Amino acid sequence: MLKNGKLKLPDKLGGLVSGFDDKEMKNGGSDPVLESGEELEIMEPNGIELGHKENAYEFDDLVNDTDVDNEDAFRTRKRPDKDGSGQVSVMEVIAADEKRSDVEYELSQKEINLEKLRRIASMGLPDGGGLRATAWKLLLGYLSPSHDLWEKELTENRQKYAMLKEELLLSPSEYTRVKEDAMISAELSGEHDDAGPLKRQGISHGDHPLSIVKASAWHHYFKHTEIAEQIDRDLLRTHPDMKFFSGESSFSKKNRVNAEADSFSCFVRLLSDSVDHFCQQLDNSPVGILSTLSRLAELLKENDEELWKHLEFTTKVKPQFYAFRWITLLLTQEFNFQSILRIWDSLLSNPFGIQDMLLRICCAMLLCMKSRLLSGDFAANLRLLQHYPDINIEHLLRVAQDLSADTSSYSLSL
Amino acid sequence: MDMSRRALLKVIVLGDIGVGKTSLMNQYVYKKFSQQYKSTIGADFVTKELQIDDKLVTLQIWDTAGQERFQSLGSAFYRGADCCVLVYDVNIQKSFETLNNWHEEFVKQAADPADPGAFPFILFGNKIDVDGGSSRVVSEKKAREWCASRGDIPYFETSAKEGYNVHEAFLCVAKMALEGEHEHEQEHEQEHDIYFQGISETVSEVEQRGGCAC
Repeated sequence: MLKNGKLKLPDKLGGLVSGFDDKEMKNGGSDPVLESGEELEIMEPNGIELGHKENAYEFDDLVNDTDVDNEDAFRTRKRPDKDGSGQVSVMEVIAADEKRSDVEYELSQKEINLEKLRRIASMGLPDGGGLRATAWKLLLGYLSPSHDLWEKELTENRQKYAMLKEELLLSPSEYTRVKEDAMISAELSGEHDDAGPLKRQGISHGDHPLSIVKASAWHHYFKHTEIAEQIDRDLLRTHPDMKFFSGESSFSKKNRVNAEADSFSCFVRLLSDSVDHFCQQLDNSPVGILSTLSRLAELLKENDEELWKHLEFTTKVKPQFYAFRWITLLLTQEFNFQSILRIWDSLLSNPFGIQDMLLRICCAMLLCMKSRLLSGDFAANLRLLQHYPDINIEHLLRVAQDLSADTSSYSLSL
Repeated sequence: MDMSRRALLKVIVLGDIGVGKTSLMNQYVYKKFSQQYKSTIGADFVTKELQIDDKLVTLQIWDTAGQERFQSLGSAFYRGADCCVLVYDVNIQKSFETLNNWHEEFVKQAADPADPGAFPFILFGNKIDVDGGSSRVVSEKKAREWCASRGDIPYFETSAKEGYNVHEAFLCVAKMALEGEHEHEQEHEQEHDIYFQGISETVSEVEQRGGCAC
């Protein structure tokens, strides 16, 4: 679903994700591939959930404490009717069980029917058992629908990632040494060294660690190291309680390395239809973030002109002020973790792509707050939209799904 | 008591990623500090009401993202600002060095081009609590020198974590913004009108109370 020709990744990354068919890798899989169900469970968010949720609530409390507009009076919570609750919950349990076995059945097929998987996922995937992790990888196209190919593809892809990392993070002198070793062993075995798509330029003799020349391999290395260090710092302070990042993990190193490679590729695919939003030079182009923000305004205008006018002209709450974060982070800062998972089920299973569903959900978020927004002024509305309240997610997603939308301008041709 | 004029002041907080801009705001507005770090994307918006002498002031504080990526989108937030707060981390040299860029960028995008030196800036040196001050790399003297070179910018050393000097620093922000506001009142009148629709309700309540107290 993301193979839409809009994929504009740097060559290196493009090479990494654009399928497994482009370059045959040598020294085929000495790397043990774990049975996917088992290994994928590592990334199943349940383990991570607790810490993250706690923190999310902590921050919410912090905000709500002082936010004294009478939220409850306006609360648009619409819980499903629960009269005769005993019966309903039994039915819910049965429905959840059925859904689980549906997904399990689908994922166990030799050839997985993506259409069907998409339909199931759009109603929300069951938690636990690594089902969501596998389903998302399929929906993102990271795993192919042919079960038999998984092991081979995963091995190859993880190797590509390891090479990319080596390329970017080894110091030029280390890199040269590694390359020389490789060349010697290649010569011994009568093969030619071929770094494939990730081949990097050799270090010229005039190059050295203090070089400030832009083309200097050392200059690049220091830049990359700086970024890597920033990422490490950010991960630690963003998820201080997540063992996975803190290095005290009980996961075997291999599992961690594999999970890292898989996450990277999934991440690249996840952002492939919105990668232009992150490119500063494209901010004012038709594919940049500002255009997407105006498309959100258009979508709102189409579906509720009154609310659109109120936001746009009366209170002048521009989408830049609130939806920039909604869109660039795929709503991950707006809801609790469990809700985010449910929302992403819908994003990833949308046949018209992640961005299409994302804009619908953003628009639905505005519509679901209509009465509060209409009675609010600039400050109140901005506070509301920057701290989006708890809401029934199933209801929100139904509103998003039912929007009348001319998606032709931004839907992806399949 | 002169409550006839109330002020709505727009304040922009700028500085490198991770220097504590959001924590300073949270400490000032909510009196809370969270260890949990959450990167600001775009800009967060908070308001704080306070009284200066006999004037009711509403600060609209825009806590911006420190990432370079967001700078080109910053102008939407900078427009109509009454005061700009620059923040650096006293333990990180680079966050001090980039103050020049933040200062320049803001002047370029928001200050009155006829008199860029007149725009009210203020500098906060944050995280002075870290390791009891032993990991500090930018001295107070250095920071004050920089402030002097930029037209005597007021300087405060703060700790968002301990709540040290935060209230005092923002009070200074409000006073500076208020002074500046008199000078370019008219230019912004229209813009403020829009915002004023918003707070008119809460303000009038206070106004009545103020009236009673007299």
